[in-house]
Amino acid sequence: MRERDVTQDLRVPWEEDPGELYEHAPCGYLTTTPDGTIVKVNETFLAWTGYTREDLIGLRRFRDLLSSGGQIYHETHYAPLLRMQNDVHEVAFDMVCADGHRLPTLVNSVLGRDPDGLPRLIRTTIFNATERRGYERELLNARRAAEDSERRVRVLQEIVAELAAAPTETGVAEALVRAPAPAFGASGGSVWLTGARPGELVAVSATDQGVSEAAAAEVARRGDLHVVGAPEEADGQLPGLAEAMREAGRATVVLLPLTTGPAADDADVRGVLAFGFAEPRRLSDSELRVVRLLGQQGGQALDRARLYDAARQREERAILLAATTREMDEEPRLTARAKRLVERLVPDVAEWASVRLQVGPAGLLAESGGPAPDADLLTAQIEEVTTAGEALWPAAGSGNAVLPLVVRGRVLGTLALRTGAEPGFLIDLADRAALALENARLYEQERAVARTLQRSLLAGTLPQDSRFVVETHYHAAAQDLEVGGDWFDAFMITPDRLAIAVGDVVGRGIDAAATMGQLRSAIRAVASADAGPAKVLKKLDRFVDRVISARMATVAYCEVNLASGTMTYACAGHLPPLLHEPATQARYLMGARSAPLGSRAGRRERVEDKVKLASGSRLLLYTDGLVERRNRTIDRGLDLMAREWARRRDAPTTGLASGFADLMVGQEHADDVCLLCLTLGTDDRMERSIGADPMQIALLRKEMRAWLASHQVDEESIQGVLLACSEAVANAIEHGYRNDPFGQVEVSATVSAEAVEVVVADRGVWRPARTDVARGRGLQLIRQVMDHVSFDRSAGTVVTMRRTRKGDS
Amino acid sequence: MNNVAFARRGPASVVTLSGELDLANAPLIGKAIAGNVGDDALLIDLTKVSFLDSAGVRLLDFIVGDMDDRGRAIRLVVGETGAARMTLQLCAFRDDLLSTDLEKAAAELGA
Repeated sequence: MRERDVTQDLRVPWEEDPGELYEHAPCGYLTTTPDGTIVKVNETFLAWTGYTREDLIGLRRFRDLLSSGGQIYHETHYAPLLRMQNDVHEVAFDMVCADGHRLPTLVNSVLGRDPDGLPRLIRTTIFNATERRGYERELLNARRAAEDSERRVRVLQEIVAELAAAPTETGVAEALVRAPAPAFGASGGSVWLTGARPGELVAVSATDQGVSEAAAAEVARRGDLHVVGAPEEADGQLPGLAEAMREAGRATVVLLPLTTGPAADDADVRGVLAFGFAEPRRLSDSELRVVRLLGQQGGQALDRARLYDAARQREERAILLAATTREMDEEPRLTARAKRLVERLVPDVAEWASVRLQVGPAGLLAESGGPAPDADLLTAQIEEVTTAGEALWPAAGSGNAVLPLVVRGRVLGTLALRTGAEPGFLIDLADRAALALENARLYEQERAVARTLQRSLLAGTLPQDSRFVVETHYHAAAQDLEVGGDWFDAFMITPDRLAIAVGDVVGRGIDAAATMGQLRSAIRAVASADAGPAKVLKKLDRFVDRVISARMATVAYCEVNLASGTMTYACAGHLPPLLHEPATQARYLMGARSAPLGSRAGRRERVEDKVKLASGSRLLLYTDGLVERRNRTIDRGLDLMAREWARRRDAPTTGLASGFADLMVGQEHADDVCLLCLTLGTDDRMERSIGADPMQIALLRKEMRAWLASHQVDEESIQGVLLACSEAVANAIEHGYRNDPFGQVEVSATVSAEAVEVVVADRGVWRPARTDVARGRGLQLIRQVMDHVSFDRSAGTVVTMRRTRKGDS
Repeated sequence: MNNVAFARRGPASVVTLSGELDLANAPLIGKAIAGNVGDDALLIDLTKVSFLDSAGVRLLDFIVGDMDDRGRAIRLVVGETGAARMTLQLCAFRDDLLSTDLEKAAAELGA
């Protein structure tokens, strides 16, 4: 094989004419002078551009064939570059063809120079770049589309994130209405949500008025995406839409159902998103895909928000129910509990609420809020509900719900409300209310039984004796508590021995009342002439070991020997008896203390103590309700009680106990109060011997006042007797013993049903009264206040005075 | 002394007695009054006196006499009932001296 000479052109099988090659080369050739004037052009260029040689040669410059932008580029880049570097490659120019259309080209030029280096001519090749430009444009469009798509996806992502974060339907709607502007360049949007009833559509958020609600409702019904390109397209298709579009100046409107899934899956429509464009707008397939996706995301977000709303409402309802039940439980009494219920429901649940209960002859009514509905209608409704045991629901949006309050199949009453709350919740509410009210009713019933039992147990007659007076008082708590276990008793052990007791059983209600009765009987059974308080308590301990409910009961137990004027007492965990003897301070008997009955931890060794009781003494046994207050210590309570007890030293025994209870606790007291007052030594005779000291007279008066009071002597007689007695004693001291500071004045007094008689005797020296006007006044006073007065001056002076008692004290 | 209290009411001295007024304390109370009232009208409030004997009456009688002698007005205020009223009525004190109303008595004295 011969070596090929590549320096030579290959010989082709036909004749290649160089002129032919120039004229019909696959590119255009132009030869121009340095100023661009065309001097030579080939046929290819003329064919492309539609010019003739006559149009161009010597007449036109290269730049004259360029578009105006190309001409500028030619001036600023092409020509300077060519001059500097003698060639220019692949410059894109649009040639303006003879018919005016533009031919995209790529241009290469070479500048030829003469031997002196001056520009001689420019050779230019022109390649047709039509195809390439199209390709570039496509690339550009594709990039722009990708960017649009990315932007839409980004907007969509943001919207989806917002939708996910929106906790309520309104929040979801607001996120949706903001979406179309950034995603599609829409001029605004509106959102409607489907309502509770089928076909109902509620506008919740709008920044655009270009869509009619009727059209949105129709789209919601159809469940398909609607893109309306012009108002005319809407005519006859979607009601009211064409008018709305024209009015708002919308050329294109999109109505998008918000569905819980792809439309093909028969998804539920939760609402409609509509948006519009002022200019006609065609949505690309990818845009439509994004629109549909937005519809699904929106629908699902609405579903979530609805579930969330429902869950939150359920939680709120549960909290409300629990709070209502708890608040009702705080009120043990039926009336108060019913009142608490209706007050709790208004205004949180209802504008007006009323509870009617069929208890007692008159029934019970608690009402709150207003205005109350028509009474006749309500009565009829209540009757219907009570008979049928079925709730009556209000007609849509107005009227009352009336629910039966049913416990164990029995209609206890009705709960009527004006409310928008859902039936399920109201039924739950009525159930709980019924149970709480029934419990209160049972409580009332038990309370009444317990009270009756307690009253009957405490109602036994108290011993009557001329030597003492026993007064008792039982005061039930003003607040709504069950009956307490406070009790008292007084009985004769022997004709000369009186037993008194006050106690407190732990607990409340029927059990406490019954236990109290047992304990009382037990004390009566074990008390005997030779037992005494310590032994009685010991036996009670054994009793309590068998009667568990009496464990830790407290008792103050006293036995009074009426013959000797002594008292033996013992306190088992109980507050100390309060003793007031004539002419002394009131004092608490703090001895003989031991633990409550049946106590395991306390000191169970039972002790007793003995005190001498002066005639006229007053003893108070009581339960803690008398002294205990939340706002003060028990010590202060006891101090106060001792003072008050001393102040009532001279009060008549009748009504003493109840009066003292009122004084100590008032009407509004929180606990039961039980007290027993013993007034002793109501002897019909009183004897005192006092020194010749005026200070002694006051003490005598005090003692005598108490003694007279204990005999129910009327106040006027008491004042008279005390005055006469004082004057007689003063007379004895001032005159009889004026020279004898150690003289004694003997005073003896007797009281009978008819009269009081006082004898005052001294052994002093009598001095006629007439010499002393002032003393004479004292004698005069004695004569005035006493019905009968006599003086015996045989040995000292004996004044005998008598005053007849008034009828009833 | 805790059962005597003094006050002024316009031109009158007011003496309020409380508790028992008897042989044991009348002299002391008398001294306290003499030392505490001025040379003007006197109002003695006895409504809180729980006992009044002839020694107390003697004291009041002395004070009234002294005031009369000096041409000064005096009123004794006693309750509608009570120990002081009983004793003073028994001793037949003049009606113009007694009053049941502190306000009225004060007004009569120009207080």
